[in-house]
Amino acid sequence: MNFNPEPYDLLGGVGTWAEALGNFLGLVLLVAIVTSLAVQGVAGPRFVLKQMLRGLIDVVRISPRRTWALASLTIKEAIRRKALLIFVVFAVLFMFAGWFLDDPDARGDMQVKVYVSFVLTSITWLTVPVILLLSCWGIPEDIKARSLHTVVTKPVRRTEVVIGRILGFTTVATGILVLMSAVGYIWVKRQLPTNVDLTCRVPIYAAYDPAVDAVEEGTVVDQETLKNAGFYFIDQNGNAKATGINTGDIVEFWSYIQGATNARAVWQFKDFGPQYLNEKGQLKLETRFLSFRSHKGRIKTKLLCQLNFTDKSTGKPVALPAFEVDEFTNNIFVLDREINYYDTESGESKTVDLIDDLVDDGTLRIVAQALDTGQYLGMAKSSLFIRLPDQSFAVGYSKAVAGIWLMLSLIVMLGVTASCFVKGPVATFLTLSLLIMGQGFRDFMLRLTSDQVLGGGPAEAWYRILKHMNPMQEMPNTVGSQIIGAIDSFLLNILWIAQHIVPNFESFKLSNYVANGFDVPWAAGMLPSVAMTCAYVIPCLLIGYYSLSLRELEAK
Amino acid sequence: MENATVIQTRNLTKIYRDFWGRKKVRALNSLSLEIKAGEVFGLLGPNGSGKTTTMKLLLGLLFPTEGEIEILGKPADDVEKNERIGYLPEESYLYRFLNADETLDFYGRLFNMSAKERRERADALIELVELKGARRRQLKEYSKGMTRRIGLAQALINNPDLVLLDEPTSGLDPIGTRKMKDLILKLRDEGKTVVMCSHLLADVQDVCDRIAILYEGELKVMGKVDELLQEQDATQLLTSRLDDNVIEEIKQVLAKHNGELKKVDHPTNSLEDLFLKTVSESKERPGQRYIPEEATEEANTSASE
Repeated sequence: MNFNPEPYDLLGGVGTWAEALGNFLGLVLLVAIVTSLAVQGVAGPRFVLKQMLRGLIDVVRISPRRTWALASLTIKEAIRRKALLIFVVFAVLFMFAGWFLDDPDARGDMQVKVYVSFVLTSITWLTVPVILLLSCWGIPEDIKARSLHTVVTKPVRRTEVVIGRILGFTTVATGILVLMSAVGYIWVKRQLPTNVDLTCRVPIYAAYDPAVDAVEEGTVVDQETLKNAGFYFIDQNGNAKATGINTGDIVEFWSYIQGATNARAVWQFKDFGPQYLNEKGQLKLETRFLSFRSHKGRIKTKLLCQLNFTDKSTGKPVALPAFEVDEFTNNIFVLDREINYYDTESGESKTVDLIDDLVDDGTLRIVAQALDTGQYLGMAKSSLFIRLPDQSFAVGYSKAVAGIWLMLSLIVMLGVTASCFVKGPVATFLTLSLLIMGQGFRDFMLRLTSDQVLGGGPAEAWYRILKHMNPMQEMPNTVGSQIIGAIDSFLLNILWIAQHIVPNFESFKLSNYVANGFDVPWAAGMLPSVAMTCAYVIPCLLIGYYSLSLRELEAK
Repeated sequence: MENATVIQTRNLTKIYRDFWGRKKVRALNSLSLEIKAGEVFGLLGPNGSGKTTTMKLLLGLLFPTEGEIEILGKPADDVEKNERIGYLPEESYLYRFLNADETLDFYGRLFNMSAKERRERADALIELVELKGARRRQLKEYSKGMTRRIGLAQALINNPDLVLLDEPTSGLDPIGTRKMKDLILKLRDEGKTVVMCSHLLADVQDVCDRIAILYEGELKVMGKVDELLQEQDATQLLTSRLDDNVIEEIKQVLAKHNGELKKVDHPTNSLEDLFLKTVSESKERPGQRYIPEEATEEANTSASE
């Protein structure tokens, strides 16, 4: 697993959304008033106001029956136009996939990962094109065939047309998804050997602290802040650090502590209490550490690690027995509430209560140290967690499917909205572009707009290409460079807006959790997906409604 | 309701523009109309005269460039006016993947009708347009005439006060045409207002109380059909068959009063009447068929031999 379990800040997200929507609406209103003044003179603003009022009335007077009638029509249309032929492709794929995926020699968790990833990825990439095309072509085809004329000449509001279409296509997507995921679930269950468990672990990670966890790479965080964070390192000199030692890995997710030194990794669980113990009153911990050997040593012997708690009354460590780090898999510890340990100072065996003696002001502190000289253990915040009782695999799988459903719903909204103001092919291209940009280009766009990419903006990049200048070279201080800078600044501002408008489709990728044997967390997984989809409901409805209302349906 | 104004347009103008906003064509120019409740009003004109544009402006499918429209007391872009309007488009724009029952049910739901109401209304309309045997077939399998009939049924699903019919008889055979015309008259008798546009003049003449003739987007003539067609400086008498002597006497009487007998002939039926009579008789006597006179003579000769 290489993800950071960051809980989603819903309130902050809603605030940002409201601010963005408010700005967007304000800007649109301003442009509408200025344009109407230019076109219609003093009657223009009255027209704008009338349209706003009409929009409000059309929202208030939506008829659920009419809306559902339009949704049912959409469903019938999709079925009769044979959209469900997608199941044939799905069936063929699953009939033969077993031949290529079957690997009985692989580890159990890897087999689970392969099968679950395959099923969820197949479902995603089969449903997305179908739903994309259906939603982008529905309204334009209706306008082209003039079937919509027979609808809008009935007492049907444009809001009902837009909502009916969205609802209809979403229902189609739901039906396809439910059937496919049910078949996929049964297929995974039947394909996996009986000795492989489909687990769905429910982890509790160390506390999230935005002052440490959400800062940009390379930011120096002060010692006191670090010591209150959910996870930090202590170096050989006893100083708190945000990262440990980099052993040369380009991926900096993991950091290492050196064995037999004062280097430590610290996890702090806030608000710890009996709710984290199982029904037998035990605490289950799971770790997954990496080993890095700076010398060969005894290659068949695993590296040693030790976990310590801290006695709140004495401040001294309560050390658990050392254990061998199982590489590429997990170590699991089940601790009774009464913990017996060997006190090295007194040389006596002592007993402490997990909650009464080790939890200080609601915080349980766990410290890991490597014991082998010259060897290193790699750790990350998510490599030690409290494991609550497992969920049923079906629950985790359903949540991952819900993530796909939320993504499909967003695609439907975007497709239908686009189709309200452009023709089918353009709507498809527009929605597909948003989908591609939202899949992985948002970060790149962010880095471009925040000057993190060498070589400047598009104009500067062109200049450098023509002049054969490498990106490290300084631009000459000339008027031309300043013009290039101004053009780039303008283009990058547009890119900044685009970056904020493009939906983050990455937030729907919940299948990684399930494929890796985890439950999908609500705060870090489901909530961002739900928020992402919900954020586009009102803007899509507004754009769709006004696009349909202000255009002449007869004009082609 | 009688004599109330159902449709009123004032200086209605429509200019079609190209992508860049440049004027392409003035489809309608300062059209002022007033249509009263309970009348059958015909919009006539050659192709491109602005009939369909007018209809679409009335329905809110197009926006006027200038002028005002009031329809059933509301502006054309008010959705609520559609509660009382039925519209039959020029071509069949219905959903071809639905069957007749589903089509009427769908449009009924758009009027928030209950399931029972929709069922009853659909049964009655399918009976009216004689599609009982084809109600379960998808519209894509329908002939043009059948499609027009189901189109008419959907236009009447809400029992509208105002019916707008765009080329209602196009694609119908003479029997279908006659039935459509009878239906229009029936609607008028029920107190409904019908506005139809057509370039089939005979159809318009048969059913319309008033007409407007458009040419190149401008209103050229408007008034009652009878009054517009009447020749004020001639008188026509229809009597039982007269022999030549009586006709001669009438000529003399007319000459005494400075009149002139301009034309004497036998009145003819319309081709439509002849066609409908033939079809009707064929239904009553299925074995009867036309035999040329020569063949009859030959048959008689051979019989006598």
